[in-house]
Amino acid sequence: MSCSDLRAWAAVARREWQVSRRSPAFWTVAALGAVLAMWRSSAPGTSAALAAYQTEQVIVLGVGVIAILLSGSAAARDHRRLCQELVFAKSQGTTASLIMARFVAAALCMLTVAAIVLTASALTQRALGGTPLRLAPYLAALARSAVPIALAATLGFALASLFTTPLAGGVAAIYWVAVPLARSHIPIAFDFTLSQHWPLSVLLILAFIMLTAGLHAYPVRSDRRRARHLVCASVVLFAAAALAAFGIASAGDDGLLGPDPVLAAMASQTSERHRRAPGFWLPDPNGRIVGLSDFFGRPVLLVFWGPGAPRSARALAVVREVAARHRDASLAAIAVCLDRDAETLGAFVPEAGDDVVLLWDRGRHFGDGLEWSDSPAAVSYEVTEVPTAVLLDQGHNIVQVFAGEDGLDLVQPALSRLVGKE
Amino acid sequence: MQIEIRGLRKVYPGGVVALEGLDLSIPPGVFGLLGPNGSGKTTLMRILATLLEPTAGEVTVDGCDVRRDRSAIRNMLGYMPQEFGFYPTLTAYETLDYLALLCRINDPTERRSRIQEALGRANLEEYAARRVGTFSGGMKQRLGVAQALLGDPPVLIVDEPTAGLDPEERIRLRSLLVELAAGRIVILSTHIVTDVEVTAERLAILHRGRCLFSGRVSDLLAPLAGKTWVIDIDETELSQVRQDSFVTGVFRSATGMQVRVIAEEMSHPRGQLAAPTLDDAYVSAMQQEAEFVELQ
Repeated sequence: MSCSDLRAWAAVARREWQVSRRSPAFWTVAALGAVLAMWRSSAPGTSAALAAYQTEQVIVLGVGVIAILLSGSAAARDHRRLCQELVFAKSQGTTASLIMARFVAAALCMLTVAAIVLTASALTQRALGGTPLRLAPYLAALARSAVPIALAATLGFALASLFTTPLAGGVAAIYWVAVPLARSHIPIAFDFTLSQHWPLSVLLILAFIMLTAGLHAYPVRSDRRRARHLVCASVVLFAAAALAAFGIASAGDDGLLGPDPVLAAMASQTSERHRRAPGFWLPDPNGRIVGLSDFFGRPVLLVFWGPGAPRSARALAVVREVAARHRDASLAAIAVCLDRDAETLGAFVPEAGDDVVLLWDRGRHFGDGLEWSDSPAAVSYEVTEVPTAVLLDQGHNIVQVFAGEDGLDLVQPALSRLVGKE
Repeated sequence: MQIEIRGLRKVYPGGVVALEGLDLSIPPGVFGLLGPNGSGKTTLMRILATLLEPTAGEVTVDGCDVRRDRSAIRNMLGYMPQEFGFYPTLTAYETLDYLALLCRINDPTERRSRIQEALGRANLEEYAARRVGTFSGGMKQRLGVAQALLGDPPVLIVDEPTAGLDPEERIRLRSLLVELAAGRIVILSTHIVTDVEVTAERLAILHRGRCLFSGRVSDLLAPLAGKTWVIDIDETELSQVRQDSFVTGVFRSATGMQVRVIAEEMSHPRGQLAAPTLDDAYVSAMQQEAEFVELQ
């Protein structure tokens, strides 16, 4: 590809980006995301790190899902707008480079939405949170959002592009076969909070786009050779992605590739007691996302425990007993399970009882020491020992932290003082 | 520059035969494709535009085969489909810029001048900065012509370009097509006979995938010379005239009603010889085909 070709390709991508950027859907998603991020960052005392972290969750969950739809819509735009004959009759109309340009534009559009949402969050945190504005956590959050958004955009784009071919059925079939076979490995392999999983996502993005571009270009005889190369390259990339997924699911060491400024900042902000407790959104055993903010206005007992840590075995029984005793004081008892295996969590549902909210902050620990680098909530509460109990008042300020098994004995008196005082 | 079509056959999945053994030679100039809906005009256009592959037969544009040299053909072809849309959020200039890039006009300076030229030809210069979503139907048709002219292609294919246009736009578009025909092949597909009559030097009449006539307009009209009559009648006479002769058209006149008739001899006292029109020839060709099918 010559320099002039590259410039022309960039010009096509720019026009594609303009088409996507000017659509009402783009601005609706950006506005909704911004409002959500502003709401998450508006609580007094919210630090830049916490605001960035919460906004990142909004982006990955909300914008990521919408990216599937919007990029799919970009891929099918020619058919929807009756432009396909105009475009396909041009000499570049069915080439792989047009498909690539269109995908890059769609993915960039969604990243622009992420940047708008993060900017709204930063401005709100500065204006209403009252804490200093720092750019590093927001930039880190944008970088961390890029991979899941690009992967979501890729899936939407590739499936919409290939929808009219039998391949789409094949992809769906593979997915439905893979889900029961891989079971709990899928959420582990696609845990976007872990930067060491990024190579897997990048491999999948490249593989899907090359496959889409190759299959589009294949019907044109003169482009067939290049199309064949693209499809072969995508098969190799899919194989590499499968190997990477297998490696991630069965890896013995999940240390981060590099330091994460958001998690580091969140961990440091809790060193001061009587500060606002870091918020979180974690899944319960049914996959429903529960946030700390759901319990605002109620005192909270938060217990980090792990089924594999011998000394934390008592923790669940203690928290259940405490929850039952203080039911009248509207105490929210939350047991946060730190374990890699989602099935283990499910086994403890009957043991937790009805009074305890059981959540899952995926983690890994050796005996009673916690390797917490992959447990965002445990990181933010500086949990270094399992079990650890944290007592929050009605305004969700940290009242006291109880580390280790011995600390559990102190929970009851402290709670009585708090509830009695309140 | 010549388009050669030999033994062209197109069968769609499901067994629908759209074209059956078509032979055509298309030289430079405006070439009209006439035929009723479903006669195979759009299929032929789409095969020429390399959007459809023929089932059998050979189609070459300046010696390039539509199957083997798709890219070369697209480089010398401007195509305006029957139904098309644009991205409504782009301006006319941005739309043409995008489509020019897809025509591999990579040099920005050349692209700019080609776009200005195409906008000028389509009389859209003053609307260059306006978003296409705000364009009227006629302006969109003109933009469709402009995009087909982008690469200054030696072959221009326009499918039903005047459909849905007001009379003024229609006249303007027809004039533009005649202007553009200098030095290039312009294939105009339509079911509006007048459009072909005022623009084309040659034409082909398609019916159910077959070619009923191909050649100069004058060659189509020649057999009807001396056989086309105009009769001024009362409304009460119409059914009698229809029974006695082959009527190609009925018109309102200042004195009452006028019918055009094709007949070897005229028995009606008010019958007058007239010059045959393309309407007469087209209706006659369709009638002959219907009689032929009936006989078979």
